[in-house]
Amino acid sequence: MNYLFLFRMIKTSVGRKQLMAVTGLLIASFLFIHLAGNLLLFKGEDWYNGWSELLIANPATIYIEIGLLFLFIIHITMAVWVRTEDLINASYRKYDMSRWHGGRTIGSATMLYTAIIILVYLVFHIIHFRFADKSIGVYQMVVSAFRSPLFVSIYIIGSVALALHLSHGFQSALETLGINHIKYNVYIKIAGYLVAVCMVFFAVISLYFYFGLDLREIADASNIVEMTIE
Amino acid sequence: MEKNKFSITLRVWKQKDASSKGYFESYKVEGIIPDMSFLEMIDVLNEKLIKQGKEPIFFESDCREGICGCCGFVVDGNPHGPDEHSTVCQLHMRRFKEGDVVTIEPFRAKSFPIIKDLIVDRSALDKIIAAGGYISVNVGSAPDANTIPVDKNTAEKAMDYATCIGCGACVASCPNSAAMLFTGAKIAHLAYLPQGKPERTKRVLNMIKVMDSLGFGNCTNEYECEAVCPKEIKVGAIAKMNREFLFANFLSEEEPQLPPVFHKSTVDVPEDE
Ligand code: HEM
Ligand code: SF4
Ligand code: FES
Repeated sequence: MNYLFLFRMIKTSVGRKQLMAVTGLLIASFLFIHLAGNLLLFKGEDWYNGWSELLIANPATIYIEIGLLFLFIIHITMAVWVRTEDLINASYRKYDMSRWHGGRTIGSATMLYTAIIILVYLVFHIIHFRFADKSIGVYQMVVSAFRSPLFVSIYIIGSVALALHLSHGFQSALETLGINHIKYNVYIKIAGYLVAVCMVFFAVISLYFYFGLDLREIADASNIVEMTIE
Repeated sequence: MEKNKFSITLRVWKQKDASSKGYFESYKVEGIIPDMSFLEMIDVLNEKLIKQGKEPIFFESDCREGICGCCGFVVDGNPHGPDEHSTVCQLHMRRFKEGDVVTIEPFRAKSFPIIKDLIVDRSALDKIIAAGGYISVNVGSAPDANTIPVDKNTAEKAMDYATCIGCGACVASCPNSAAMLFTGAKIAHLAYLPQGKPERTKRVLNMIKVMDSLGFGNCTNEYECEAVCPKEIKVGAIAKMNREFLFANFLSEEEPQLPPVFHKSTVDVPEDE
């Protein structure tokens, strides 16, 4: 019976939240690695394609991808379960005058909505990048996609939603795992907001290519600087 | 003195019982003295209503000094009223002014059925306590006070959590109607003390199991509870409960059980294992 403690976890409110917290934090750490890799877009085609080839060549990649899929499935299943119960509870709780008392934040109050936006963003992203035709090279594929205003709009909305989700999600996950200490709470909050701000960089990347900033010759730029100095 | 008196309009939630439909009724309250407590103001109104042969407003109170947890309803959207970290019996009329329209309604939560008007049934909280909010001691004469040493910081921390008066404002303020702050405070209070050690794992597993079965919600760490708690219980209590649960779940061989006092006839806890 005791070997089934994971099921007991799923049967308990706190356990479900702890599974959500662990999977959420693991997904967030994937996002950091993903962001770091994508920042190579700024270094140019060779670097970015090189990174992509490394990933493709690595036999572990496919298992990591399957692991990621499971993280998403667990996170979302628990979220749907928890939120369904909470929405039923909320229907019993209609105050004539309802207000926030200082605990809620925009991030915490919109978790459900940002989650839905992120899911749409993720599906769109996976369809267009993971399962795309990469014959022109991954770099060219990504850069040409970001020429489309629709693409960039989705990236901006999606990344902002992701930032909001994590602005609450990061410190919420730590609290759920029992990490709360009067000495560190301030730093945990700040770290959560920093994590959130990092996510906006996905949008920054797409905007960078949308406005063609990569096409501007570095030499030209330095010429202009020299000319103005003269 | 006379010239300080003022009047307000009170919008009160009236509801006959749990199954009836409720509605708001407005009352004009005159001759309010700023030094009156909010409950005294309702007392004055109720006396007038009774003299007129009308039904008074039903509300709950006992100590009227912020230590029993009986009182508690929502004033203009704030559980226990607009004052920070105070019970509604400690709210005074100097907080209000001539012509104010004040809306009062009961704590609203799935697990707190309305008994009448502003009175809700908070016995679900007692059921959580019965599931593990106790320690085992020998009966007979009281043991000597300092036989078990407890350092000052630990004693203070346990005391901070022990100050929870079980008023239920945390549940009322929670967007998910969760009872995590209450349950967390009760678990943390005993978990920090050596006297609480023997039942430590059993306590957290059983209290959470009963809390879930009573229909309280899941915590999404909104921290509204901490913001309204009259006893300033911090969400560190919830974190402590989460830690206790994590360790109990992974390391102990204990299975959660409903305590023997939970007879089907007295408490409707589903038997699911
Ligand atoms: C500027 C922003 C982004 C770019 C350029 C980007 C690029 C890519 C590319 C090219 C792939 C496919 C890798 C391959 O098939 O070899 C990929 C996969 C993936 N991306 Fe992104 N991504 C971005 C943002 C995000 C965000 C915000 C999320 C999370 C919500 C995300 C989640 C994923 C996931 C889960 C995969 C599949 C995992 C994998 O195939 O390794 N990405 N991304
Ligand atoms: S934790 Fe605070 S708000 Fe909740 S029941 Fe205890 S005293 Fe009341
Ligand atoms: S009546 Fe006892 S706390 Fe208000």
